[in-house]
Parts: sequence; C-alpha cells; structure tokens
Amino acid sequence: MPGRADALLDGPVRDLAAAVGTGRVRAAEVAETALARAGAAAERLGAFLLVAGESARASAADVDRRVAAGEALPLAGVPLAVKDNIHVAGLPATAGSRILSGFVAPDHATCVERLVRAGAVVVGKTNCDEFGMGSSNENSAFGPVRNPWDLSRVPGGSSGGSAAAVASGAVPLALGTDTGGSVRQPASFTGLVGWKPTYGRVSRYGLVAFASSFDQAGVLARSVEDAALAFGIAAGADPRDSTTLPSPVPDVMSRLGEGVEGRRIGLLAEAESPEGGLHPDVRASFEAAAETLRRAGADVATVSLPRVRLAVPVYYLTATAEASSNLARFDGVRYGARREAGTLASLYRETRSAGFGPEVKRRILLGTFALSSGYHDAYYGLAQKVRALLARDFGEAFRDFDALLCPTSPEPAFRFGEKTADPLSMYLADVFTVPPSLAGLPALSVPSGFSADGLPIGMQLVGPADSEPLLFRLARVIEASAGVTGRRPPAAVA
Amino acid sequence: MKLDRDLVRKVARLAALELSPGEEEELSGQLTRIVEHFEALREVPDALLAGAGDAPPTPLRRDDSRDGSPGALVAGNAPEFSHGHFVVPRVVSRD
Repeated sequence: MPGRADALLDGPVRDLAAAVGTGRVRAAEVAETALARAGAAAERLGAFLLVAGESARASAADVDRRVAAGEALPLAGVPLAVKDNIHVAGLPATAGSRILSGFVAPDHATCVERLVRAGAVVVGKTNCDEFGMGSSNENSAFGPVRNPWDLSRVPGGSSGGSAAAVASGAVPLALGTDTGGSVRQPASFTGLVGWKPTYGRVSRYGLVAFASSFDQAGVLARSVEDAALAFGIAAGADPRDSTTLPSPVPDVMSRLGEGVEGRRIGLLAEAESPEGGLHPDVRASFEAAAETLRRAGADVATVSLPRVRLAVPVYYLTATAEASSNLARFDGVRYGARREAGTLASLYRETRSAGFGPEVKRRILLGTFALSSGYHDAYYGLAQKVRALLARDFGEAFRDFDALLCPTSPEPAFRFGEKTADPLSMYLADVFTVPPSLAGLPALSVPSGFSADGLPIGMQLVGPADSEPLLFRLARVIEASAGVTGRRPPAAVA
Repeated sequence: MKLDRDLVRKVARLAALELSPGEEEELSGQLTRIVEHFEALREVPDALLAGAGDAPPTPLRRDDSRDGSPGALVAGNAPEFSHGHFVVPRVVSRD
C-alpha cells in the first residue's frame, strides 16, 4: 500500500519539499522510498549505474537535522539523480566509460553542491553515453538504458539514465549535461521538461569535460514548475569556473504565472523543410504547439535561419576538436584504469585504446583530424567562422522575435540499433538541438503530445541569453494543453 | 576528401590510440562519409565569413595562488602513487 512518501514523490517538488521542511514527513522516509524505486529503475531500465544507499541515508539524516534546527530548505528531502559525468563527493564518476573505472570524485560539482545545500538528497548516479557522446544511450560502457514508454526504444542521450530515472518515477529531479542536446533530446523522448541554461549560467566545475565551450549542466523534471525551481538554485556565478556569468540570475519562479500575450514567437521554417525530416506526428505536434501559443495571445509567425542546416557540421567539427583536447587527460597516469606497458608512450596508447569505446574513439579521431596540420584551416577554422555566423543569425532573428519554437527532435524515440550502423545518421538527428548550443543560448524542451503509437514528443523553445523566464512561461502554456505531464509510462517504477 | 587508412593511422597516432586493421578500415569509411558531408560548410561565401567575427575570448580566472597539493582521494584515484608523485614507467635511462 502506497505510503505518504510515495504520494509526495509523485507530486510537485515544492509540495514534497514543503512536507519535509515542515516535519510532516522525514527526509529519511522519502529517501528510503526513492532508493527502492531507483533500485527498480536500475534493474528494469538500466537507468542507474549506482544506487547510493549509504550516502543517501546519511544525506537525508542531515536534512532532517537541519529541518529540526529550523533551517528553511527549498528542496528539503527531494531525491535527486545525478548523471555519472557529474561529480558527487565520495561517489564513483565513470562518465559511462571503462577508462574511469574505479575513479571516486574528490568533491561535489558546484551544481550538485548548490542543490544539496538546498536540501536535495542524491540517491544515485545515472547511466549515460560515454563522456556524453551519443544521442541514444547505446554508447555506455555499462549497457543501454531503456525508455520507460517502450522498452524496445532508446531513451535518448546522452543523459538517458537521468531521463529514464525521472520518467519512470524513481526521482522527481535529475541533473544531466547538455553539450549539443543531451538534456533536451532525452527529455523529449521520455515526456519530460529538459532545460539547457544560457552558457555560463550554471557552473561547469565538477563536470567531466567533453567540449568546454558547449558543456552545460541542466535539469530534467516532470513539470515546468519543478524545472524552474531547480533553475533558481543550480544557477549562479562560481569562482571555480571563469566562464560563469557574473550577472544576477534571472528570476524564473516569480514570473512563471505571467502571461505570454503579445510575445513574438518565431516558428523555425527549416523544421518544415525536407531537410528537417519531420516525422508526421512531430509535425502535427509542432503545429498544435504553435496554435496553443497563438490562442494564449502570442504573436506567432514563421522565421527562417537558412544556415541552420550547417549547425550539425559545425558542431561535430568543433565539439570533437575540443573533445580530442579534453580527453587527452585520460592517459592512465592520474586516475582510472591503466594498462601497464614498458614505456610511457605505450602506456598512454594501450590505456586509451582499451579504455575508450568506439564512439569516443571516432569522435577523438574526427576532432584530432580537424585540428591537425594541413587540415586545421579547412575544417576546424572554417567551422569556427560559421559558428560565429550562426550566432549572428540568431541575434538577427531575435530583433524580430522574443523566442523561437521548433521540435526538439525530428522524430520520437527510435528503436535500439536503428542508427548505430551509420554514425552520420545519428549525428544528423541533432539538427534542432545543436544550433542554440553553438550560440550559447538557453533552450528548453517541453512535452507537447504523443505520437500515434504512444511515444512522447517534445518541443524546443530557444531565446536570447538569459531569456529563461520567458522560455519557462511559454513552456508552461504548451505543457498545460499537451496532456503529457502526470501521465505515467507503462514501465514506471512507482 | 577521403580519409584513407594511412591518414586514419596517422591521426590515431596523434591521438595516442592504437587501432586494429579492422578498426582502421571501418573508421576510414565512416570518417570519410562524415567529413564529406561536413564539406557543405565550404558553400558559405568568403565575404560572409570575413565578416563573421571571432568567438569571444574565454574569461580568465583571477591569478590567485591556491593549495594544489593532492589530497587523499587524488592519491587514491591514481593507478600508482608514491611519495607525493604519480608513478609512470621510466622515461630516462643511462643507455
């Protein structure tokens, strides 16, 4: 028979935090329930790489002590899942890679520290594509994650474990990372809200670096309100990350209920083009979301960003170049698995060759090629110039529009193995999520409906830097009419 | 352009990776297909690129000194650690 903690875990995060914060239920009780659910999500879906019972119980006891001492905690006792490429002090962080087997994080990532300080309880580390490289969670060294809406389909990636953990009901909130869509696309595939911040709004300290000029930590949640609550806590300047923004964090929560009348929304024309490759159900959902915003009083029109189709080449040349540099640190000397060898050079080669999976090797090679002598100007250099051009195109679009709307993914969740034989086809599916990443813009995926065969569909809202208050409000309008939030997937663990 | 096996092998050496002949063959095909698709970037007129500007520089941290000595977990994470140092195979010999 479901207990108090079960009911609270299935409701809004603020109600759960209020119940723990006022002593109506103990964080310890909530943590036990979430740990049991996380165990089930690990077993049935492969969502977790670690269910952290011991540390979660200690953390929950600490929350109960702080509440008893009169401390106000906006996330009191809220169970949190953390993607395994984000550091949680004292817990392993493999980033889904064998090369980091045995590595234990020495301290919290800043985003984790902020949420834990607010009362969140980390219940486990979630599965992900190796080093965040993938769009299906089929690239984890520790096995795939299954989509709780259809176990034969992928949950998206690379934050697929975090998405499955929230969508299945194991936890109400999860942290992911988003380099080219790794929070938004899995949110779209699993019926969740997924937020990628304005670049610099959330610290990257404690994230296992993939592509530093793109990487951002983001939140996956069941509702816009839950995600907005986490936004205000996770965001903020950090002296340990020089790229964080020193300006005040925009207030999302207090403006969540404001209307969207008169807001100018641009529908991305290229989404409707043959290159957009939209699934008919996604196209219908796109049109319905646009109509919903129109009915809410927004001024909706079509906008063209003709060079947006170049975003995938630009992203996969620049992000892999950064990865080839960032991942040079995995050499078997300071951490992780080592392959013993007679010389230092062979130790590096053998450790890396045995430790990295195929997709990571492919991206390191692509990035190393793009940076190598004789090819740098024609590939990496050119991609950087087009990146600047794309950012300028967005800037021009935002003179006429307050935000842009397009599908998060051209299609709903696909089946396992459908794209693994052709890496390029997997990359091209990122067509809508990489453009805002290139320009450092905030973007959010919100559930907009279901396909004919019952799979969630998500819409992406993109705005200028620091436009999160508007993006969350627009998302709330779509959420209210979509009828996705609150529906449980067939493989829910709750 | 085609990334033949020789080029793939050269790039792998730069990246400190060893590939089997089968991996070289497979990656040659995959990377060629990817890179040829990405050559669409060359369609952008030079005049537009000239005016695109550069990426903004990365802000620098304050140049403050900090205690960078390895803690117990840093040492514990190392495959081999001794007397405050990471141990690697000998890189200098008398021969």
